Amino acid sequence: MSRRAAGGVVAAAAVWAIAGWLLWRSSLPSGGLPHVDVHSLVSPATLRRADRYSAWARRLWLGSTAAQLVALGVYARIGTRWTRESAAGPIGTGMLLGMLGFALVWAAQLPFAVLTVWWRRDNELGGSYLDATVGNWLALGVEFVFLCVALAIVMGLARSRVGERWWIAAAPCFVGLSLLFAFVSPWLLGGRALDSSDLRAATARLEQVEHVRHVPVRVLDGFDEPNAFATGLGPSRRVFLWSPIVEPPFTHRQIRVVIAHELGHLAHGHIWKSLGWYALFAFPGAFLLALATRRRGGMREPAAVPLSLLVLVVLGLVALPLQNLVTRRMEAEADWSALRATHDPAAARRLFANFVGATLSDPDPPAWDYVLLENHPTLLQRAELARLYAERRR
Amino acid sequence: MDEHPVRLVVDDDLERTRLTVFFRLILAVPHLIWVTLWTIAVVVVAICNWVATLVAGRPPRPLHRFLCAYTRYTVQLSAYLHLVVNPYPPFLGETGEYEVDLRLPAPAAQPRWKTLIRIVLALPALLLSSVLGGSGGPVLNARGNAALRSYSSGGGALSGFCAFLGWFATVVTGRMPRGLRDAAAYGVGYGGQSLAYLLLITDRYPSSDPTAMLRDFEPPPPHEVHLVGDAHDLRRSRLTVFFRLPLAIPHLVWLALWTIAAILVGIVNWFATLFAGTPPLVFHRFLSAYVRYSLHVNAFLYLAANPFPGFVGERYPLDLVLPAQPQRQNRWKTGFRIVLAVPAGIVDTALGWALFVAAVWTWFVALLTGSAPWGLRNLSAYALRYGAQLNAYVFLVTERYPHASPLEGYEPEP
Repeated sequence: MSRRAAGGVVAAAAVWAIAGWLLWRSSLPSGGLPHVDVHSLVSPATLRRADRYSAWARRLWLGSTAAQLVALGVYARIGTRWTRESAAGPIGTGMLLGMLGFALVWAAQLPFAVLTVWWRRDNELGGSYLDATVGNWLALGVEFVFLCVALAIVMGLARSRVGERWWIAAAPCFVGLSLLFAFVSPWLLGGRALDSSDLRAATARLEQVEHVRHVPVRVLDGFDEPNAFATGLGPSRRVFLWSPIVEPPFTHRQIRVVIAHELGHLAHGHIWKSLGWYALFAFPGAFLLALATRRRGGMREPAAVPLSLLVLVVLGLVALPLQNLVTRRMEAEADWSALRATHDPAAARRLFANFVGATLSDPDPPAWDYVLLENHPTLLQRAELARLYAERRR
Repeated sequence: MDEHPVRLVVDDDLERTRLTVFFRLILAVPHLIWVTLWTIAVVVVAICNWVATLVAGRPPRPLHRFLCAYTRYTVQLSAYLHLVVNPYPPFLGETGEYEVDLRLPAPAAQPRWKTLIRIVLALPALLLSSVLGGSGGPVLNARGNAALRSYSSGGGALSGFCAFLGWFATVVTGRMPRGLRDAAAYGVGYGGQSLAYLLLITDRYPSSDPTAMLRDFEPPPPHEVHLVGDAHDLRRSRLTVFFRLPLAIPHLVWLALWTIAAILVGIVNWFATLFAGTPPLVFHRFLSAYVRYSLHVNAFLYLAANPFPGFVGERYPLDLVLPAQPQRQNRWKTGFRIVLAVPAGIVDTALGWALFVAAVWTWFVALLTGSAPWGLRNLSAYALRYGAQLNAYVFLVTERYPHASPLEGYEPEP
């Protein structure tokens, strides 16, 4: 590597680090969290159920991930044989190979998807075999559309004058597409307005407290689990509540905490921050992809596509702990924002306890699970944050 | 490929008597009553024949003869109702007495397992027959039970729609359009083969190959929009067959976007052609590319071809030949193009249903065997070709009306 190139790498790393530091900043209080005994949060029976459910859910995740890696590993070796099934030119052939790779992953993960539904139903969490099989088969079509767009960009750039440096041009394209998707998706989701006038009034008050301009709150039907999320940029910002969260056992006080949490995400610009993190990961990710596929002729060749899928999935798994670290911090900040807006740590604590019963999430999972799978703070940590707020208020 | 033992023979000069065509349905009422009574008897005979064939390994000659007469009669009646022929049909279904004949085989040994599950085996053919046009036979009742409700006078979409359109044409001109006659005859013939299979007249499965069905028909002159490619390439990749629908979705999204552009260009092209008398070259090329791409996507989606098509109209094994240069077009025909296309759109709708059913059966067969059935492939190609001709007609790529005959563009094997 020449000195000039090395200088460029160092400069890029410095920019990356500064951007990362800026995005990492948070309004979370410093210092540790007070201890909360998990047994004081949920009943022993619920805790046992959650333990039992989560243990098997983790095994199913491990099995499904292993199946995905094996399928993609095999496909990376033999996938090019399906080139002859295409009359579509190099980019179209790359698209076909990409889609077939995803299709094989679907097939490899199918037993685990079915087992997961069985396990959820066995634990009275709901789930549909039809959705897990036929539904997912059809949903592949939507995945394929996004995959084809991504491959058209990557292969189109790799075959253009940009050549091997396609990743420099592709990363901004993907960030731009993510931006567009984040902007448009709230309008595509639909949903219905909140029924309760109390909650609508509470939302208006929370918007004032959290300094958020009016954000519509929509309820989405057709889900088995309680959940909520905030999305959108500028005029498209929305808070979405999955219908089970506006039904018992969740009380209006608890739903207020949920809405305040989601407004907290918007107040602290978490959607923008997520896009910023995505941009930070997109450049090195695309570079590593270009590097890994070089032996197959680079992303200009359809033959590199099967390998690129494996590389992408491995990179995704490697980046998972870091991604979870980032999202956990944002979630904790949104929790803290909700506590400051509602001044109701008791409701927050009850909400988290109800979450354990309704989702059978392990409130205190093992370390590897925490690192790899938890993109939110554990429910115990969230209850501890509520306690910290209560202590500070006193 | 050896000849199917159940053969449709039609001796028709396309000439029709306006009076009998106008009152065709009413004139057929005595036949409809007669065939209903006959059908009741056939149910009993068919069950006896089934038991006897299971026991003896071949249908008893008297029962076979009775069922042959019934099958032939329903085909003749159906052909009359669908304007495939002009004269009033006889009541006894005897061979050699009418312009439409169904040549049926003598009783022969049949594998018992096929006989045992014949009604199950016949279901796909009966379903396809119901969209192509049947010659009658059992009809599912309103609750979906496989009970015989009544004789079906050929409720199949293709034959029915062709007869409906042919009725207007014939009342005005006194002549049945050849394309509609051929399409209706194909539907009627397939219905006859399905019924013969169901009633154990033959153990040979019905062939949906339109070119084989209409082997003795004179092919129409070639249309300037026609299919090219290797019809005998029946290999299908099981993996891409299994995931065919999701694999086609990116193409369908792209096609939808292209369709929006094509409609806008088509409107501008319509005005330009009305004004200049000839479509501008740039629009002609764009719309030709759209029509070709649309065919590629549908051929892939409906399993008429194997490889994944390109997004910008690359060469494809099932391809379309279109006029290279825009041609001068009659302004009247251009002005009323959409209205004129409505009858072809009706035929295309029926063929679309047939294409869908053919694709579903092809999907199962190709998954099991790794190749598409010859008959279903040719039916799909027929439907796709007609759809492409309609597209080309609507978008002013050609002035030639789509030809409904399944034989259009068919080149007999040397």
